[in-house]
Amino acid sequence: MARTLAMFTDTSLCIGCRACQVACKQWNELDMEVPDWTGTYQNHTHFTDKTFRLVRFIEEPGGQPNGDLAWLLMSDVCKHCAEAGCQNACPTGAIYRTEHGTVNIDQDVCNGCRYCVSACPFGVVSFNEQTGTARKCTFCNDRIHNGLGPACAKACPTESIQFGFRDELVGRAQKRVEALKSMGFKEAQLYGADSSGFLGGLNAFFLLLAKPATYGLPDNPRLPQRNVLVESVLSIGSALLVGLGALVAFRQRPGSKEH
Amino acid sequence: MALLQSPHWPVLIDVYFFLGGLAGGAFVIATIANLVDARRFRDVSRAGYYLALVALIPCPIILIVDLGVPVRFMNMMRAFNPLSPMSMGAWALLGFSACAFLAALITLLEDAGRGRNLGGAKTAVGVVGAFFGFFVAAYPGVLLSATAQPLWAGGHALGALFLAVGASTGAAAMALVLLLVGRRAADGMSRLRTMLVLALLIQLVAVGVFVVSVQGSSSLAAARALTTLTSGAYGLTFWLGAIVVGSVLPLLIGLANFKRRSPGLTALASVLVLVGGFLVKYVIVAAGQA
Repeated sequence: MARTLAMFTDTSLCIGCRACQVACKQWNELDMEVPDWTGTYQNHTHFTDKTFRLVRFIEEPGGQPNGDLAWLLMSDVCKHCAEAGCQNACPTGAIYRTEHGTVNIDQDVCNGCRYCVSACPFGVVSFNEQTGTARKCTFCNDRIHNGLGPACAKACPTESIQFGFRDELVGRAQKRVEALKSMGFKEAQLYGADSSGFLGGLNAFFLLLAKPATYGLPDNPRLPQRNVLVESVLSIGSALLVGLGALVAFRQRPGSKEH
Repeated sequence: MALLQSPHWPVLIDVYFFLGGLAGGAFVIATIANLVDARRFRDVSRAGYYLALVALIPCPIILIVDLGVPVRFMNMMRAFNPLSPMSMGAWALLGFSACAFLAALITLLEDAGRGRNLGGAKTAVGVVGAFFGFFVAAYPGVLLSATAQPLWAGGHALGALFLAVGASTGAAAMALVLLLVGRRAADGMSRLRTMLVLALLIQLVAVGVFVVSVQGSSSLAAARALTTLTSGAYGLTFWLGAIVVGSVLPLLIGLANFKRRSPGLTALASVLVLVGGFLVKYVIVAAGQA
């Protein structure tokens, strides 16, 4: 396997221009959609089958070091989890991991069962009614296999989205957290950078200025398939009870009237 | 702010969960009856094996129609992914269909008087098919629990519950079939009544474990999702439909009917179990996607 590639989204540098969102739409030829009027600049409210990059606009009262309201911006994207719930859920093998460590959905194999949609802890995977398949960020698979970075990272004017080798990016991100903390951003933290942390680390990881929950991110996302073993054992227990019940029912001595 | 996305599985999928569970339950009961005393309980195993096949026939059609690209249904067979209950379920459904077909075929040959040497084959098909039957009845619950949806993933025993519902609805459907073909006083009928009561007890325990375990989970989202099921839009359907009318009432009727052996009461209890079995699956799938 080649050296793992990653995207590092430093939300402290995001200016909310949505160039990444537009570049993603253009490169991937994603149709426009009816806008969601959210009362903020955010559009859409969540990932869709035609929106793979999504800038979130969040207002956090008292979120600034001086106690002022913080206007948090976050360019959100598929996390390309090292342990991916969608990939584990896929019954056709359409969802695969590339040699660069990214997670992709083979559009020629996916049959649209939508199990991955329910399995993503981040609500990334979306169902496309026109193609009948599941869609999500491809990490610009065509671009990274031709020596180019993802379109969103290329378009970002502030280097809020950085593309490169994962180990290098994590080192850079850690230095940036220290710098922000010394500037008074106490909650500055990395999300998904730790490859021994949740989901084996995210290959698209983030620098956040507030707690993950403020951005709507789960604090400690779990791999959905972690439930399979326990629930299977409980099901076997239930099967034994039902089988035993049936044996009791059919082996009991018949009533005298029926003989 | 919830980031999760719902798979938006339609009610048709609940119908599949119901029919697949019913088929699995009926097949398992038929096999055990056949193992205990093939001759005495021939009515029971006959009803169970035919019922399993009939209930199974719509299942693959429902699943294929629901796919985004139905012509690619065979892609399920190009992967074998033990971590994915959807993948395992597709394989189990294939194996179970083969067993249900063979069991019904052998039963048919016996009915036609050509089954003299088929007893061993029937037992073998029955035992192998019973494992698949259990799997087909239970895996949808495990499938739901292996998602990111807070209600399904937040609790325990969904697979156990779906399996018990399969057994209760299977027994109820078999009792109804036997009543319809006029075998009301047969020995097998009283055994099915016992089976129904036992399956309902397991079912109620499993529902209890599920609700209590979601409530006791540390996840706030799961607790919130549970209120959708127990007091929100689906509260009435859950408590009144699935629990009281669909489980507790037929359980009480079944207990009262042990001595009386009234065919009318058996029929009533069976219909209630079928309705309740569908509702409990429907309401959990719907509330989890709300």
